[in-house]
Amino acid sequence: MGFDKLVFYVFAAVLVFAALRVITCRNPVHAVFYLVLAFLNSAGLWLLLEAEFLAMTLVLVYVGAVMVLFLFVVMMLDINVAEMRAGMRRFAPVGVGIGILLVVEMALIVRSSAFSPEKFGNLVRSPADYSNTKALGSVLYTEHVYAFEIAAVILVLAIIAAIALTLRKRPKTRYQDPARQVSVRREDRVRLVDVPSEKRG
Amino acid sequence: MSFQIPAFAPALPEIIVMTMACAILVIDLYIAEERRGLTYLLTQLTLVIAALATLGGMPVEPQVTFSGSFIRDTMGDLLKAFIYLMAAGVFLYSRDYLRARKLFTGEFHVTGLFGVLGMMVMVSAHSLLTVYLGLELLSLALYAMVAYDRDSLQATEAAMKYFVLGALASGLLLYGMSMLYGVTGTLDLALLAERLADSDRGDPVLVFGIAFIVAGLAFKLGAVPFHMYLPDVYHGAPTAVTVYIGTAPKIAAFALTMRVLAEGLAPLHADWQQMLVVLAVLSLALGNVVAIAQTNLKRMFAYSTISHVGFILLGILSGTADGYAGAMFYAITYALMALGGFGMILLLTREGFEADNLDDFRGLNERSPWFAFMMLLLIFSMAGVPPTVGFYAKLAVLQAVVQVDMVWLAIVAVLFSVVGAFYYLRIIKLMYFDEVEDRNPLTAAPDLRLALSVNGLAVLLLGLFPGGLMALCIGALT
Amino acid sequence: MLENYLPILIFLAIGLAVGGGAMAAGFLLGPHRPDAEKNSPYECGFEAFEDARMKFDVRYYLVAILFIIFDLEIAFLFPWAVVLGEIGMFGFLAMVLFLGILVVGFIYEWKKGALEWE
Repeated sequence: MGFDKLVFYVFAAVLVFAALRVITCRNPVHAVFYLVLAFLNSAGLWLLLEAEFLAMTLVLVYVGAVMVLFLFVVMMLDINVAEMRAGMRRFAPVGVGIGILLVVEMALIVRSSAFSPEKFGNLVRSPADYSNTKALGSVLYTEHVYAFEIAAVILVLAIIAAIALTLRKRPKTRYQDPARQVSVRREDRVRLVDVPSEKRG
Repeated sequence: MSFQIPAFAPALPEIIVMTMACAILVIDLYIAEERRGLTYLLTQLTLVIAALATLGGMPVEPQVTFSGSFIRDTMGDLLKAFIYLMAAGVFLYSRDYLRARKLFTGEFHVTGLFGVLGMMVMVSAHSLLTVYLGLELLSLALYAMVAYDRDSLQATEAAMKYFVLGALASGLLLYGMSMLYGVTGTLDLALLAERLADSDRGDPVLVFGIAFIVAGLAFKLGAVPFHMYLPDVYHGAPTAVTVYIGTAPKIAAFALTMRVLAEGLAPLHADWQQMLVVLAVLSLALGNVVAIAQTNLKRMFAYSTISHVGFILLGILSGTADGYAGAMFYAITYALMALGGFGMILLLTREGFEADNLDDFRGLNERSPWFAFMMLLLIFSMAGVPPTVGFYAKLAVLQAVVQVDMVWLAIVAVLFSVVGAFYYLRIIKLMYFDEVEDRNPLTAAPDLRLALSVNGLAVLLLGLFPGGLMALCIGALT
Repeated sequence: MLENYLPILIFLAIGLAVGGGAMAAGFLLGPHRPDAEKNSPYECGFEAFEDARMKFDVRYYLVAILFIIFDLEIAFLFPWAVVLGEIGMFGFLAMVLFLGILVVGFIYEWKKGALEWE
């Protein structure tokens, strides 16, 4: 067994364990942390597939940003765990059924001739100076420019939707306006008053 | 480098809508609340310019650009033109409704325009990647619009259901696409069809791939058994948003199904035909039967949509040019009827009052004989009563099904349409033979009245002279 | 390509060993005499008022989601910077347009006051 195979099995085993813990954990905050672990391990798997940019993006975007959001949401929801588990027994058979179905499907797909090793011939590891990021970049901004710009539009729509749905102006809040602070002059603030000095006696 | 700079001209309508939407977003930030009408006018102007660019630059031959991710053809241009028309109608009908509920903002219009852009991307998609991105752009706009009235608990719940199930459906679709990509190694729809033609048909990857894709599409269309969210979303969303969801996206969903199934998966027609038969029969049955039990008009229209989707699927599953043209005709005219139907609800609605219950239409004939007549036309058309266009649309689809020797399917469709006629006729009975409960005069603006009258008459005129539109549909698909 | 990542794997292994080792050593070597008082949550000497998890203001969520959007934008910039020399003027302008569209979103965000913390 090659060394990268060993690494693969380690990552894969931890990934499966973490994924299972995500759905079996009682504490939703722990579940989020297991999800982080799962993401980190799938990033490792992607690295083994020589998809270094995707691996880095997964860590950067999912672990770095999406999981932060998840934590906020989980904390914001103030989940009542007992209430959540109430329907567990009733829905478990359906869930298990769907799970088994998906596993069988996956098995059939992976064993299919379309993905057999013979079809792909001899796969060799890329040399040390191969850059997956470069390969990705050379098509993303040229051949897929249309999809790339649509992605920008989707992001803008996400900004609009997020702001339109959550931003509420509170009427009685005080703001600090740096522009006004900077442009303030002495005359606006200081008033010199001639106070006649008190005479003694 | 072998990269050629792509031709931008075919995507001119998309570029116009995107630029204008961004411009309106910024302009809206700088105008005062009482001049919000400018945003509305600019939105309508955008749709007009886009329509001119689309219809003015119709190519004779299909043009593929952006390295095969974009196609401009007659079918796409025709569908886009109707999408603009529907969107313009939606913005017009919903204007006063939104004003009365303090929802008349720039965001609504810009989100709506981005939704239109998403539909355009779907209609012009020539690769699975752009299919997916267009769909996501549209879906994101719809989720946001449903939740738009954020103080309404009902709307928020509807948006949550729509979002969670919609995300699941997108996942199914992506999963199916990834399998197809795994087998063929391409996302380009034309190449996909080419490579599928000489691949092993019984390959489980292909079978599962199609199953997942059909499930994802069925969800987006709202076909049974993937319809669960539809009644709640139609009912829970503000009526101005319901009319948006119920019209233009149906045309786009038809285009999506055509692009993916009829173009990309054309060689596997026999496989997906079976699945569509099941979906169509279930949709026709459930939609028509459950609609009878509804007392809320928006909910009833939701079930009626499900049954109409069954009809559109009938045309697509026939797999012939006639069937596709019939389905296209059906999708366009159905969007027109739905626009009018929801428009009637918006007409009767006034500040602080939603006219979305069946009882609100009681004795409409006494209050306004003209609009009762318009509603009669629209309802007849949905039920498929001649001489309205609904009859002709159903006929075209059924003919296509009979042509491919699926007579039993046509009989099932007719039977369930007869069942469906019951709940449509009930509305007519309410309007003409029941006592008026609500004697408030109609307060709608003159342009809304005019547009709704044109909408109602269009349903009649298209039914009397369907030849023109039908010829356009057939021309677009052959 | 993978050999470049071997040092990182070694770092990971050492990091895990040090972190895990320290915890294991503490667990094994430290005295272990729990009682009810020691196990109860400690809040400045008095009984705990409420659950540690409380509702966050929705504004945190807004900031987080806006952060994700611009984080994604940055993710798109990396491969672009790597291949800028090869993709030429077209690739450069593609990114200018991408950033331009997002700047529109940014103007909206700024002007709406979504970046203000009240």
